[in-house]
Amino acid sequence: MARVKLTNVKKIYQGNVTAVHDFNLDIADKEFIVFVGPSGCGKSTTLRMVAGLEDISEGTVEIDGEVVNDLQPKDRHISMVFQNYALYPHLTVFENMAFPLRLLRHPKMSQDEIYRRVTEAAEVLGITQYLNRKPKALSGGQRQRVAIGRAMVKDCKVFLMDEPLSNLDAKLRNQMRAEIILLRKKIDTTFIYVTHDQTEAMTLGDRIVIMKDGFIMQVGSPSQVFDKPDNLFVAEFIGAPKMNIVKTNLVKEGSKYYVTPFGSKILVDGEKGDELKKRGYDSQEILLGFRPEHTVLAKKAEGACHATIAVNEMMGSELHLHVVTDDGAPVIIRVPTIQLNDKEREEMVAGKEIYFTFEGKVMHFFNPETEVSLFYDEPVTLEEVNEKVEEIKKDVKELKEKE
Amino acid sequence: MKQYTDLEYLKLSGPEKFANKFSRFFFGIPHALLKFLKAIGRFFANIGKKIAHVFVNIYRTFVCGDWKTRVSYFIMGFGNLSRGQILRGLLFLIFQIVFIGYIAIWGWKWLAQMGTLGTVGPEEIYDEIYDSYITIYHDNSFKILLYSVLTLFFCVGYIVTWYFNIEQNRIAEEIIGSSKRKALKKACKKELKAAQDDAAKEEIKARYKAEIEAVPVKKLRSGKDDVRSLVDDQFHKTLLALPLIGILIFTVMPIVFMILVAFTNYDGAHNGYSNNLFHWVGWDNFNTMLNWKTGNKAYSAAFGEILAWTLMWSVFATFTCYFLGMFVAIMINKKGIKLKKVWRTILVLTIAIPQFISLLYVSKLFADKGIVLTYLQKWFHVPETFSFYGPNATAWTARITVVVINIWIGIPYLMLMATGILMNIPEDLYESAKIDGANVFQQYVKITLPYIMFITGPYLLTSFIGNMNNFNVIFLLTGGAPTNAAASAASGSVGYTDLLITWLFKMTTGANSEYYMASVVGIMIFVVTAFIAMIVYNVMPSTKNEEDYQ
Amino acid sequence: MSEEEKKVVAQEATNNPTAGEVSVNSLAYTTGQEVVKAEKKEKRHMGLKAKRILGNTVVYIVLVIMSIIWLAPFVCIVLQSFRCESTWMTGYIIPHKWGFDNYVRLFKNTKFPRWFLNTTIISIATAALQLIIILCMSYTLSRLRFKGRKALMNAMLVLGLFPGILGMIILYRILADLNLTQQNAIPGLILVYTASSGMGYYVSKGFFDTLPKSLDEAARVDGANRAQVLFKVILPLSKPIVIYTLLTSFMGPWGDFVFARYVSFGTSDGMNVAVGLQNMLGSAGSINANYTTFCAGGVVVAIPITILFMCLQKYYVEGVTGGAVKG
Repeated sequence: MARVKLTNVKKIYQGNVTAVHDFNLDIADKEFIVFVGPSGCGKSTTLRMVAGLEDISEGTVEIDGEVVNDLQPKDRHISMVFQNYALYPHLTVFENMAFPLRLLRHPKMSQDEIYRRVTEAAEVLGITQYLNRKPKALSGGQRQRVAIGRAMVKDCKVFLMDEPLSNLDAKLRNQMRAEIILLRKKIDTTFIYVTHDQTEAMTLGDRIVIMKDGFIMQVGSPSQVFDKPDNLFVAEFIGAPKMNIVKTNLVKEGSKYYVTPFGSKILVDGEKGDELKKRGYDSQEILLGFRPEHTVLAKKAEGACHATIAVNEMMGSELHLHVVTDDGAPVIIRVPTIQLNDKEREEMVAGKEIYFTFEGKVMHFFNPETEVSLFYDEPVTLEEVNEKVEEIKKDVKELKEKE
Repeated sequence: MKQYTDLEYLKLSGPEKFANKFSRFFFGIPHALLKFLKAIGRFFANIGKKIAHVFVNIYRTFVCGDWKTRVSYFIMGFGNLSRGQILRGLLFLIFQIVFIGYIAIWGWKWLAQMGTLGTVGPEEIYDEIYDSYITIYHDNSFKILLYSVLTLFFCVGYIVTWYFNIEQNRIAEEIIGSSKRKALKKACKKELKAAQDDAAKEEIKARYKAEIEAVPVKKLRSGKDDVRSLVDDQFHKTLLALPLIGILIFTVMPIVFMILVAFTNYDGAHNGYSNNLFHWVGWDNFNTMLNWKTGNKAYSAAFGEILAWTLMWSVFATFTCYFLGMFVAIMINKKGIKLKKVWRTILVLTIAIPQFISLLYVSKLFADKGIVLTYLQKWFHVPETFSFYGPNATAWTARITVVVINIWIGIPYLMLMATGILMNIPEDLYESAKIDGANVFQQYVKITLPYIMFITGPYLLTSFIGNMNNFNVIFLLTGGAPTNAAASAASGSVGYTDLLITWLFKMTTGANSEYYMASVVGIMIFVVTAFIAMIVYNVMPSTKNEEDYQ
Repeated sequence: MSEEEKKVVAQEATNNPTAGEVSVNSLAYTTGQEVVKAEKKEKRHMGLKAKRILGNTVVYIVLVIMSIIWLAPFVCIVLQSFRCESTWMTGYIIPHKWGFDNYVRLFKNTKFPRWFLNTTIISIATAALQLIIILCMSYTLSRLRFKGRKALMNAMLVLGLFPGILGMIILYRILADLNLTQQNAIPGLILVYTASSGMGYYVSKGFFDTLPKSLDEAARVDGANRAQVLFKVILPLSKPIVIYTLLTSFMGPWGDFVFARYVSFGTSDGMNVAVGLQNMLGSAGSINANYTTFCAGGVVVAIPITILFMCLQKYYVEGVTGGAVKG
């Protein structure tokens, strides 16, 4: 139950390899935050610096207002679940879970209390009947539960999880994900969760930190990173199947904006259009992004794009069509199966020519050189924060005076 | 003993849990014994069933088989030869000829004499030419016993091969379908007898003809196929043939022979040839050894004393080396210690240098007037009478010295093993423990030690049994000294540091060479080690699935 | 700033993801604390460092003492082998007169060269034959599945509990009947050493158990028969265990003084080094005459073996560790 604050945290390994660059993040009390990114992006390193398993090269990590840079892991009041479970093979499940409690000194925990806590946690996780077994005799999912249970029994300020589900098969992973959501409600503490799986990140996190090569690419709620990606990397990383990206032109005609991908012409309307207008963009070359789920099959008409199906993937509820447009660009189109009758569905095979178009409201625009979103705002500087604080102070003062 | 459910058990405090485990261990012994006996019972019942099955099979195959099969009962390989499996058939036939030839020419003589182990001993005859008495040798008990055992082995081999030959016929008939056709013909005849009119008979004939024709005729394996299968699906036979024959002749046969010797009076005075013949004595030797009804306490007392010391030695030798070796490994692998390789190499010297050099030399270092005692007397004024394991040493000085010197030999081996395991302990176990609040010492006590012990549990048993039979260390260091006068009354010159295995050795080499007693001791060693191994395997859970540890 | 304000800022920070990354007020708030912490940390660190240095020193002292104990006998034996003033066992270590007398005596007056040659021949032959037998046995039991495999392994386990030393009487007699004793001891010993070596398949089997089963399966799918799997896939991967087996079986015959004595009974031409050298210390009179010669012989035997062992130490360690894990 604590706020965790990372300020200018850096990790530099010997030989000047920088694994984490200038990491700044303020995690609120009881927040569930997820670090996500491809392997080698520094997410695990950051987590391990919070845990105290890696030295912090520069910057500070605060837990509950206390700088913990020089504290031993045990003095940081954290719990951690490891990717490979890290269960002690020589101890039974019960003893594995009781391990952190038995190490407590001042005051020493009584046997009854240990028993109560462990059995309670086991009850929650549904592993009561395995308490007397050794980890060897458990399945992967059960071992994972034991590992979570061992982290649960202790009172901790921050609960760290390092890719806890990556060793499980797909079905079990979905199930455990749901259980972690429930668990989170029960434990009610600050969570930092590391994963490489964007689905996990989207479903679990209050906020998601997307990282690449040791840099934070974006921090935001799942809907923020999905709807308003700051840059091309985030746009492509979040969402499955991947967002389609095409190099094209933004055309301003009067007060209206159009994009012209694949020889078509599509009006940018809704919020996006307004935003473009507000920011006063001119006609220019851009990278246009649109998600497969925002495409629609169309009749041959003005503005529709023409393409040929290369591969069709039947997913059951939907059809993923990998098509190639006339100028050779690959595009993925997602068609809910409910929109097609049987005959149409059968026709959707490689070689068939189709027309498609997409919503103008949900397009994304990126600068082709910097790959940054046209709607990206620079993070607020220190001065601005200071101003804000002053403003709030004023407001609070006024409020008090009124009272 | 109170039975707890899982949850109740978990509620107990540490000492209570320990007490419970402890009592469960000891209360478990009878149960384990029972289980073991039952398993043995089942084992024999199974064998009985299998043998019964074999006889039924032999009978059935004869009754149901065709004439080729029946002839094969008398001429091995006939079925194979007549069905075109020339290679197999020839092998069977040759084996049979060799066997019959052997039995006819030599084998029957040995077997006939097995019951008596020879009747005519050596005698002295006056030789007129040389004008002196010369000894004429007749029967040789040792040879009779040895070759009758070999002949018995050969007979068993023959019977097994003979049965195998019959099975071959049965399987061959199944493959080519002749047995099925025969059964169909029989059934056809039966129905024909029961049939009323000609039309029905015709119908039955036609039906059976069709059925008989429908029986599939598969080809038998040719000699070429057989040879090919020896490097494929029968590859294990090719690979195991040589090692198993070696083990059969050079391990199994001596063991059988040794067990038989325990029931004879074979010793230096009855060597079966040049002085006296030896003969069967039944359980006499076991009576003497265990003092059942003979009243001769010398052997049983010596046996008890030596067994007690052997067990003690095993416990101390195993555990001192085990824990100290582990400790040394942890020291060498400690973070920040440099020259790891050098330390390791120095210790490993005792493994590299043959023990007869290192131990023999060390035994002289610690001997009376050896370098160590001389310097101890010079520098520390150790009394002149003090001796590690000279004739005047006390039993316990000698025993402690042996255990200590054994540490010198044993630590490096354990150190190497523990080092390997230490490197394999997953790093995240330590990380997790660090987060849970374990300091360095706790990490060592709660993770490193139990982890190594957990993995090396099965090794402890092997090592314990190995130490019980640790001939080299005792024989080279002290040779059993100092002499135990009381125990020596039994046989040979027994010393306080003698183990059962060195006692056994002394019995076979002394003036009397009581081979029969040595055999009894050998059997006793087997019984004791088997008993310990059985208990440990059945009661200790951690030794059960060795293959699961990785 | 009051508690309330802090909360507001925090909330603001979390609500606005971009603005939340830096928050000035808490920065200022931490600096004061940091100074105190840093001082504390320094003290603790110094304690830790001192402790570690102390711990390492203790470990070094123990290791040095151990090294001395381990090396001392070997240093002694080398020193005494150069002692010329007497051949007796003496109560001092450093020779008064140095020289090669003992080595000269060893090679001139005894049949040591013959023993050495005998042992070398036996060792090389034994190593080669044992390798074949042990590999056959362990490969079969580890990677092939056939009827009776478990029963066979259990039978081996039980057989292993009988003390092997007892079989000597009869093995000697068999060898004598085959005329493979005394002068002909070399082939006799090779036969006995290798014949039942299949019993020692455990370490090697442990190694084969760790090779993934899918290797065999892949090769078989690709059209190899089982023999080809062994020779083309598994054996090339088995270098460590091949070397381990060769090393241990090569070293075995150098140390055997019990059975070798039986077989070479009465002749010194059939002896191996262990029997020959051990005889030198057989009786009190013999010790006085041959003590330093024994030392010289020990050195001559130990040096090549130790060098060989040290060169192949890596493989030995692998074998030992694998064996431990497998039991």
